[in-house]
Amino acid sequence: MTILPSDRVAVSRASRFRRDRLRVGGSLGTGSFWRPLTVVSLGIIVLWCLLAAFAPWVAPYDPLETVGDNLQPPSGAHWMGTDDLGRDVLSRLIWGSRLSLPLAVAIVACSLLVGGIVGLAAGYFGKAVDNVAMRLADLVLAFPQIILAMAVAAAFGPSVGNAVLALVIVSWPLYARIIRSSVLSVREQEYVVAGRLLGLPTLRSIVKDVIPNSAGPALVMSTIELGNAILMLAALSFLGLGPRPPAAEWGAMIALGSQNLGNWWVSLFPGLAILTIVMAFNLLGDAIQDHLDPRSRNARTR
Amino acid sequence: MRSLTAKLAVPAGAVALTLALAGCAGGNSTSNAGDQTLTVDTSFVVKTLDPGTVYEQTGNIAVHALYDTLVTYEGSDVTTLQPELAESWEQSSDGTTWTFTLRDDAVFSDGAAVTAEDAVFSLNRLKNLQGSASQTVQGLDFAAEGDDTVVVTSETPNPDVPVILAMPAASVLNSAEAKKLGATDAEDAATSDQIGTQLDTASLGSGPYVLKSYDPSTKIVLTANPKYWGEQPAYSRVVIQNVDVQNQKLTISKAKGDEIALDLSGPQAAELSDDLQVSGVADTSYFLSLNQDPAVSAVTSNPAFVKALRLTVDGEGLAKLFGEGATPAAGLVPPAFAGALDESENPVQDIDGAKKLLADAGLSDVKVALVYPAITYRGVDLGTIVTKVQQDAKKAGIEIELTPQPINVFLQSQSEGKNEINFSPNSLNYPASSSLVNNMAPGASTSLRTGWTLERADQSAIDASNAVTAELTPEGRNEAMIDWQHVMNEVSPYVALANNAGIVVATSDLTGADYTPAGWTVDLAAIAGK
Repeated sequence: MTILPSDRVAVSRASRFRRDRLRVGGSLGTGSFWRPLTVVSLGIIVLWCLLAAFAPWVAPYDPLETVGDNLQPPSGAHWMGTDDLGRDVLSRLIWGSRLSLPLAVAIVACSLLVGGIVGLAAGYFGKAVDNVAMRLADLVLAFPQIILAMAVAAAFGPSVGNAVLALVIVSWPLYARIIRSSVLSVREQEYVVAGRLLGLPTLRSIVKDVIPNSAGPALVMSTIELGNAILMLAALSFLGLGPRPPAAEWGAMIALGSQNLGNWWVSLFPGLAILTIVMAFNLLGDAIQDHLDPRSRNARTR
Repeated sequence: MRSLTAKLAVPAGAVALTLALAGCAGGNSTSNAGDQTLTVDTSFVVKTLDPGTVYEQTGNIAVHALYDTLVTYEGSDVTTLQPELAESWEQSSDGTTWTFTLRDDAVFSDGAAVTAEDAVFSLNRLKNLQGSASQTVQGLDFAAEGDDTVVVTSETPNPDVPVILAMPAASVLNSAEAKKLGATDAEDAATSDQIGTQLDTASLGSGPYVLKSYDPSTKIVLTANPKYWGEQPAYSRVVIQNVDVQNQKLTISKAKGDEIALDLSGPQAAELSDDLQVSGVADTSYFLSLNQDPAVSAVTSNPAFVKALRLTVDGEGLAKLFGEGATPAAGLVPPAFAGALDESENPVQDIDGAKKLLADAGLSDVKVALVYPAITYRGVDLGTIVTKVQQDAKKAGIEIELTPQPINVFLQSQSEGKNEINFSPNSLNYPASSSLVNNMAPGASTSLRTGWTLERADQSAIDASNAVTAELTPEGRNEAMIDWQHVMNEVSPYVALANNAGIVVATSDLTGADYTPAGWTVDLAAIAGK
């Protein structure tokens, strides 16, 4: 069995997260969180977010229109060249961020929601609920993520919604597992038991005591998974299972250029876009994790 | 019409071996006077070298070099049949019987004479094995009269018989030797033929080459047949090696000589250096079919919409996307074949005309769905082509929603006939343009999938289709195909877009490396040094 990122984050550190929870915001400005790599990562993420937000004003051309000759190499008029249909690669790249970024957030948010509910139920109620939920999660995890996502997307037909749905279906178990493991230790804590003994209803106990003290690891994981979501979405698009053409999507753009690598600019630039944003999210996620987990941080700096 | 699935094995097969071969690509083409090896780079699609079951591209290339057929084609020309084992052939006046007279000097590679009995055995075996290629000879009966006459009869007049018998699958094998190995031409040959894969280790043909070795994943080696009855081929040895499409470009660019590449796409071929020769013939047509069933779509079944969409097509622009050798489509028959419309009839894009047609028909803000297979066919992503169609249609106010589907899903949805617009490539199973009528006439198989029944079709289309089938001679049918296409361009639900070319790239020291749409891609025995 492979070791999942969720295992890395989760391993019974729930109690520390309880203490750290309030510190996350407060100490970011002072500690070693602001290492150069973290700053660069954040910068890249902010830059992409800005590009996505202001795409209509930033992009030099309409991403869907033929604006030049076919397959022109990078030039003054087209900084990143043009593709098979004479569309400006730079403009498509910028517009592509409008798809990738929000969709990645949507995938992670939905997975977190679904996985969170299942994980909470499994961890809090235990017994049969736990067994059923976790065996279901194991079932999904037993398949390679991308293969399962492909199967789901292919079954539903290619579209933005279905690609997101497919990726949510394959990624919720990660969150379910991590939240379950946090909840398992939190629910045994004295304050939770005390609350229940004082007559707090189940739902209130979950909302007031359990969720705030077990969400930390899942949130860290979300950051790392944002990059993963972008990558998986691009992979589905690459295989023709993402947004319908002619949508400017990074994975689809790479697929178009891969037919003829002689025209390197068609594939290279969207590839770089994915590389930068995914790396930025991963490094940021690592930084947050290191910051919240001193042992791992020491190991790294040593 | 060859179904799309037949060629889909290409991309899958291409992936398999390429990485392994990447390292050795390009290192084998040292050219000097004593070296008589021709290297052929192709992405392998091959299951067998048995003429009775061969169907895939690579197999056809090899089988054509190992075996002879009764008649054949020379070079890129598929409009005129040439004699091979048969020195003459004639059609009976009622069109149902073809008589082939064999030449008397042809011998197999073991020295035995080629007789009519061998030909009849081979053709009956092809028919009865019921493989993929067998369908083209269904309905034909083969009989030998003496040693040198083969009589082919058909229930209905069939002017395409000689064309069909030029296919590599119709190759003649040494029946005496084949029977020793367990081959049979009996009606239950599909189950009782015991030859297995023995024809993959040794060939039993009368062709210019004999099989030296066969490995379906790496290479096929042919050596010249010392007893060949015709003129000896220029190269004493031919190595057909499995090379991925991307690597073929690199390999052929670095080759010093005596090398050809068979799978480069039009856009790739356009980028090659001028030192290489490129031979291409536009033989695959790409078309849209608009559903004529009003229950499926009130828009696409409206004749005015079909005409309007036809006017938005930018054939020149589409041909440019296909690259080297591609042409705009004047009609449904690609220019490689007899019966194609002249390029002077290429349609001209007329956006204003399309707008007017739509306005007159009261169609405004129309939105239709176009379904296409999400594949790369001959190096061109079909998504790129339909995006261009979408862009052009939009200029006339037609909004097309593109729906890519995995190929198996596409084939399924296509056959259910519920798609508004289908897009797919179409190549002929054998080079007779009139075979299109069998599928695309009103009420025929392809037409039914687009809801074009006899009831819904314009009478002129029915008449034109009947006129083609009423002709008994190949010449007559080709002539009738011209009129048929004119009518189809007016009233059919098919919108021809462009024709893509098959391409053979050869080093500059070669002659005779011509692409042929006849089914065997290139005639290996015709290739010689300059």
